[in-house]
Amino acid sequence: MKQSAQVPDTQQRLIGCFRAVFPELRDSETVRASASSLAAWDSVATVSLAAAVEEEFGIQFDPEEIENLNSFQSCLNLLANR
Amino acid sequence: MKLIEALQIANAAPQGPPFHALLACGFTPLHLETAVKAHLRLSLPARSIVVRTGLYGDLAGTLERQRERLDAALVVLEWGDLDPRLAWRSAGKVNGDVVSDARARLKRIETGIATLAEKTRVGLSLPALPLPPVFHTPGSELNRLESALWELLYGLAASTRAVVLHTETLCQGSRHDLRTELMNGFPYQFAHADALAAGFVGMIVPVPPKKGLITDLDGTLWSGVLGDDGPNGISWDVEHKTQFHGLYQHLLNLLAEAGILLGVASKNDAGRVHQALARPDLVVNPQRLFPIEAHWRPKPESVERILESWNVGADSVVFVDDSRLELEQVRTAFPAIECQEFRRDDASFLVKLRDRFGKREVREEDALRVASIRGAQKMRRTVADGESLETLLAGAEARVRFRWGKEPPDGRALELVNKTNQFNLNGIRYSEADWNVFLSDPTTHLLVVEYEDRFGKLGKIAVLGGRERDGGFELEIWVMSCRAFSRRIEHQCLKMLLSRWDPVRFQWKRGERNGPMLDFLTEMTPDWQAVRQAEFSRRCPPLFHETECTGA
Repeated sequence: MKQSAQVPDTQQRLIGCFRAVFPELRDSETVRASASSLAAWDSVATVSLAAAVEEEFGIQFDPEEIENLNSFQSCLNLLANR
Repeated sequence: MKLIEALQIANAAPQGPPFHALLACGFTPLHLETAVKAHLRLSLPARSIVVRTGLYGDLAGTLERQRERLDAALVVLEWGDLDPRLAWRSAGKVNGDVVSDARARLKRIETGIATLAEKTRVGLSLPALPLPPVFHTPGSELNRLESALWELLYGLAASTRAVVLHTETLCQGSRHDLRTELMNGFPYQFAHADALAAGFVGMIVPVPPKKGLITDLDGTLWSGVLGDDGPNGISWDVEHKTQFHGLYQHLLNLLAEAGILLGVASKNDAGRVHQALARPDLVVNPQRLFPIEAHWRPKPESVERILESWNVGADSVVFVDDSRLELEQVRTAFPAIECQEFRRDDASFLVKLRDRFGKREVREEDALRVASIRGAQKMRRTVADGESLETLLAGAEARVRFRWGKEPPDGRALELVNKTNQFNLNGIRYSEADWNVFLSDPTTHLLVVEYEDRFGKLGKIAVLGGRERDGGFELEIWVMSCRAFSRRIEHQCLKMLLSRWDPVRFQWKRGERNGPMLDFLTEMTPDWQAVRQAEFSRRCPPLFHETECTGA
């Protein structure tokens, strides 16, 4: 029960990070967002997104992890594995 | 501000005319750019913020390449801009030539800043990060080469035309983020980037400083209770261990020199207060204190009378008292006033109080302010004593000096335009860049007005600006200091314009506080749109000034 309550909370907080970096995204689009589908997702956006997620969740990504931050789902997976 | 919040503010949909800022730094601007955008947006909500940046590792080149119009430029200097060997990301072996290399690079940067500063306001911050371990000396000792580099930097700070940010007063925590510097070239913790951005934006869009300070006496201006201890029993000196009050008095002198109005609100016997203020060892100059409200009535009454005498709003004033009860009473009566509890032996109290009144430049008019308010009160008393306003004005020996022209630029003119509220045609404020655009437009005209009479000299008190159109004059700027009210100077100004152009049209706009301006327009022209010479002659009351006009 505890874990299932945490997942939506993590997802909502991650959506908040994505919305801060990609303000034009609608909520329904955010969970499907990826570097290949979003023109605004460039290298600067990746760094901004990583920093926003680090700040929001109080974590630090390794450089390799940041390289793999290329979709909403990959971010969610990285957070789930911590 | 947190990064997510800064991103949300910075990335929100733009609105209003663009405000172009240059963020010049040798590192990847990344989150500093976000923070600058966010703080500018908060300070300029009606503008779209456009932040330009330059090339990595080429601060001097970034400054040199600027050709387009800028509203502001922010130059963030770090060690790597003096020599790449001094940056953590490119640290290398350092020897004596680092100083001469740094000197040459700083010269280019200084020249670039000077060129930009001719057209816009430039803010500069000196290195805030620690040097990498490139010297043999332990970090607890200042290396000789490092000292030489700081000498160069402080030399730049002393001679540059930029406003230099005092980096030491910013974020006190850790500033450096080596992980992100090595990973993506951004060297700051976000907290430092945020503080740096806030400091820069405070420089570009400064909060208007307060105009007056009202101080209590017992336990504030001095230690002791005048009613109990008598004028010789109160103190502010080393001997009585009450020197902090002397420092406070010293600060009041400093503020008065910068034109800050100082009033006294004290529950005391007026006679005793005057005896105490006559003590020869008093640090504060008693001539600076005006008005002095010393009686037993409630403090809010005293504050009300002081504000009336100064003719300034409560939001322009700081009230200092050691009594929390009286602070609360004044706060309740005047919610806009800033109430400060006097905190003895607290250095930050004095420093923060100074900062509420901080000024970059002290002008001649600042020194005249208290004298002119005293003069205005004398004038009001003369009228109250039965002399008619007409008789008073006729005998005032008033002189109005008009100076047409835009060169050399007069800093006082921009200051008046940006701080005048009551007699202000439309409340439009100008950034230095906007002002330079107005001045450099060959179709515009600018008139600066000075005044003095037998009650005292007021200095430069009014500014008018606009352009010729269809045979008349389109007035875009008209401000006049409230110290100059009731002398018919505004009538004389309009007369001056109508002697050159007919009609004069007004680009007026109703604001929260420009009632006196609109009352004057009502008096001169019922539709507030334009006035013609013939109509003005019918409506204008008698004018008694001697006038002098210079310039084109």
